[in-house]
Amino acid sequence: MKAIEDFTLIGKTVLRREDSYLMRGKAQFLDDLPEPKGLIHIAFVLSPYARADILSVDASAAKALPGVIDVLTGKDLAGDIKTFAPVIEIDGYHDVRRPVVAIDRVNFVGEYVAVILAESPYAAQDALDLVDIDYDPLPSVAGIKAALSPDAPVLHDHLGDNLIFRTAFETEDFDARFAEGDVVLEEEFQLGRVTGVMIEPRGCMAWPDPIATNMTLWTPTQIPHIVRTAIADHLDIPESVLRVVTPAVGGGFGTKAHVYPDELIVVALARRYGRAVKWVQDRREDLLTNAHAREHILKLRVAVANDGEIRAAHLDVRTNCGAYPNHPYSPTLEATAAVRMMPGPYRIRNYKYDVCSVTTNTAPTGAYRGTGQPSAFLAIEGMMDRIGRRLGLDPADVRRRNVIQPEEFPYVNVVGVRYDTGSYSQSLERGLEMVGYDAFRAAQPKDRLVDGKYRGIGICNYTEVSGTGAPGWRVRGFAKMPGFDSSRVVVEPDGKITVYVSQADAGQGHYTTFAQIAADRLGVSWEDVMVVEGDTAKTPYGTGTFASRGSVVGGGTVIRCSDKVGVKIRRIAGYMLNADPERLVLKDGRVIDPEDADRSLSLREVAETAYSMNNLGLPQGEEHGLEATDYYDPPMVTMANGTHVVQVAVDPEDGRVEIERYAVVHDCGRVINPKIVEGQVHGATVQGIGEALMEEIVYDDEGQHLNANLLDYLIPTAMDVPNLELSHIETPSIDTVGGIKGAAEGGLTGAVPAIANAVSDALSGLGVNITRVPLRPAYVFEQIRQARAERESSEQ
Amino acid sequence: MSAKKVTVRMKVNGKDYVREVEPRYLMADFLRHELQLTGTHIGCEHGVCGACTVLINGKTGRSCLQFAAALDGAEITTVEGIAGDGPLHPVQEAFHDAHALQCGYCTPGFLMTTIEFLKTNPEPDRDEIQQALTNNMCRCTGYVNIIDAVEDAAKRLREGAREA
Ligand code: FES
Ligand code: FES
Repeated sequence: MKAIEDFTLIGKTVLRREDSYLMRGKAQFLDDLPEPKGLIHIAFVLSPYARADILSVDASAAKALPGVIDVLTGKDLAGDIKTFAPVIEIDGYHDVRRPVVAIDRVNFVGEYVAVILAESPYAAQDALDLVDIDYDPLPSVAGIKAALSPDAPVLHDHLGDNLIFRTAFETEDFDARFAEGDVVLEEEFQLGRVTGVMIEPRGCMAWPDPIATNMTLWTPTQIPHIVRTAIADHLDIPESVLRVVTPAVGGGFGTKAHVYPDELIVVALARRYGRAVKWVQDRREDLLTNAHAREHILKLRVAVANDGEIRAAHLDVRTNCGAYPNHPYSPTLEATAAVRMMPGPYRIRNYKYDVCSVTTNTAPTGAYRGTGQPSAFLAIEGMMDRIGRRLGLDPADVRRRNVIQPEEFPYVNVVGVRYDTGSYSQSLERGLEMVGYDAFRAAQPKDRLVDGKYRGIGICNYTEVSGTGAPGWRVRGFAKMPGFDSSRVVVEPDGKITVYVSQADAGQGHYTTFAQIAADRLGVSWEDVMVVEGDTAKTPYGTGTFASRGSVVGGGTVIRCSDKVGVKIRRIAGYMLNADPERLVLKDGRVIDPEDADRSLSLREVAETAYSMNNLGLPQGEEHGLEATDYYDPPMVTMANGTHVVQVAVDPEDGRVEIERYAVVHDCGRVINPKIVEGQVHGATVQGIGEALMEEIVYDDEGQHLNANLLDYLIPTAMDVPNLELSHIETPSIDTVGGIKGAAEGGLTGAVPAIANAVSDALSGLGVNITRVPLRPAYVFEQIRQARAERESSEQ
Repeated sequence: MSAKKVTVRMKVNGKDYVREVEPRYLMADFLRHELQLTGTHIGCEHGVCGACTVLINGKTGRSCLQFAAALDGAEITTVEGIAGDGPLHPVQEAFHDAHALQCGYCTPGFLMTTIEFLKTNPEPDRDEIQQALTNNMCRCTGYVNIIDAVEDAAKRLREGAREA
């Protein structure tokens, strides 16, 4: 069998087959699908209050509007859809369930209060304003600290307080080990609340068959199988009659890796009315109701030796769950990610963490690119710089003192995560070299002021968790997260190949890369391989495409599955050629006997035998057909890694941060398609620039959402993009099939801390202490102004 | 509320259309749901993201901000009109080669913006390209490869023009 080293197509840039139809405007995104006859369009009445009792709903005027079919409230739907909740099994987590449409009480701005059913989207929109709802507003709470205060209103009575999740961990004799440090440093870091902002907002359409027994749900999700299971669970219908299909998906970023109430609602309504039902979200609804992320407060306390070695670390993480736990992760997702990933590329052996998550009157938070890792590294990488400042060491040397060295792999970190391979110190050194770190430091004045701007440099050396398998989900309480992914590889009767994968592409290029993999293993041209995914009726069950798992788990299963089919191809060809199957080689669409080059068969000839389309018959005991199915459960996690080094200039006149140099070193193990990996790194890094410098969902203290549009919630545009200098290291995993590691999130994880550290360094001469993101100009300007004012008053 | 429908005539991608629509019917909806030209996408419906960009009488415009009735008599080009089913337009080729699209949802808007931009500025520098692209949002690519693609497209168009 072909060794992984003999890859011919894996590792090569193949231009994407997706591009042609996308660029011609032919892709079928949700709202582009042909609409079935009798389609019902729905719209949701959203709560304008953060917390209120619903006293009455009068929909008579709305119902009287021509084109309006019905208006339903939470009570009307309660019999069709069970209260909604994820299944989380971890100590310290408290169950909170929600009605998919609010019944007596709303708990965040944007919560669904009623559903309009209409013959057209315009009629549905018209009806929205005519539903008369009488609310009794109640005291509400939005922020983490406020939610923890003893007199805070309690959102969910059965909890007794606003704590929905709390857990802790510590290594043996932690306090004694902590006491052995020479100095203790402590800092509190904060990250603003952000969200994915896919350019395609969400939407979904349920379409019953004419006799309404089978149902197809079209939804641009990253997790079609998990959506199907959740809907079957909550609507009490057999999974076998429900099919979930993803149309083209206009970006996911984790935001589309949740199960949302509307997905349950359209299916329930389609069942009730026996008609297709469609909902398309607008941007305001996206920003109000789709899963938010971050809003973390991290307190990191470290005991350090005088040479910069971290002897012990204690991380306390607080996160905001929002009003209800999202499905399927709950707030444990980011919280457990942050504490488990914090040790990162460093040799931290004595570790303690405390985590808590609170419920507040804000939108539910959940998955978004990076999940907990930008937070973890904002804390630990920010601390590296502080250790340097305190001990008079170069911050790069502090990292060198602590980073895991090449000879230490495989390394099992303090929370039991195995780092099989990695390039932590090489990557750090290369990143520093790329921006001329030493020269910059040598020339940097103490006050950091050069040509009227404060100039600084920041580093983030990170690990990136990817391809999480079942054990990785179980330790974090995700009882129903499969972890595996699967594929079915079929050699069709004509010798062409179809690969069915349990995943769901949202722009990652699976239709090209999975074809590359199968083609590579089966010795055919990649154009002869078609890839099918995002369809529960066609593909075997699996977890989906999120958390940097597509290439690791999807790629891994396609390798394994192709090889399984390869064995059968050789067996049948061996019988046909009267040759030992072991020595046959798959190449150029043929099965070749290397010992006798004249004797070879086309894949089609072999397939014809397998499908009984000639007179040859099959050998004794051989089954018809030429396909295999594979389920691949990867290791607990697979660690990619990388380093970002960023040089910034901060303008004291307006607080603007300009990125002057940006180096990214990136190691995701075996690369399948270099250009696609580069695209992932670019995209994630620029999202990280957004999170570091501009993006933040703002709620006021009462939970009123203040910026639910793209003029006020800023994401990067082409003007915000610096010249990204990229360098790749390829250190294949020894634990995953094919040596593949994930690549989707590291860019964001590296960017947020590196930029924050660079700004922090630039302003360190002024004595400004940067502890939070986003660093919007007004905030930075204010820090500079205050520091200068203090300086002046102390000089007088 | 639904009002009396008005007649709208438009030439879209070289083809004449006549439709009866409500006066408030958005141009984006008109293209997408009346003419089934769904390549023009909606990303925000408030004029910020640029996904709905089309050429209106040769100039880029946001189809989410205009009423179809107000564009009676206009000549429109949408993404479907760039190359149809034929060989890709040089701008499309450049996007393909540079891997300037991932999910592709924003791409039609970027293509329209780029085509207009390179007509007015056939030899732009990177700064000018970045400025021209600020009218369009992309959340997948980080813009890096889009900027490269526009630079490359400019070159291809100049070379094509020289050969022609
Ligand atoms: S949809 Fe028109 S600008 Fe966003
Ligand atoms: S390619 Fe996805 S938004 Fe641009």
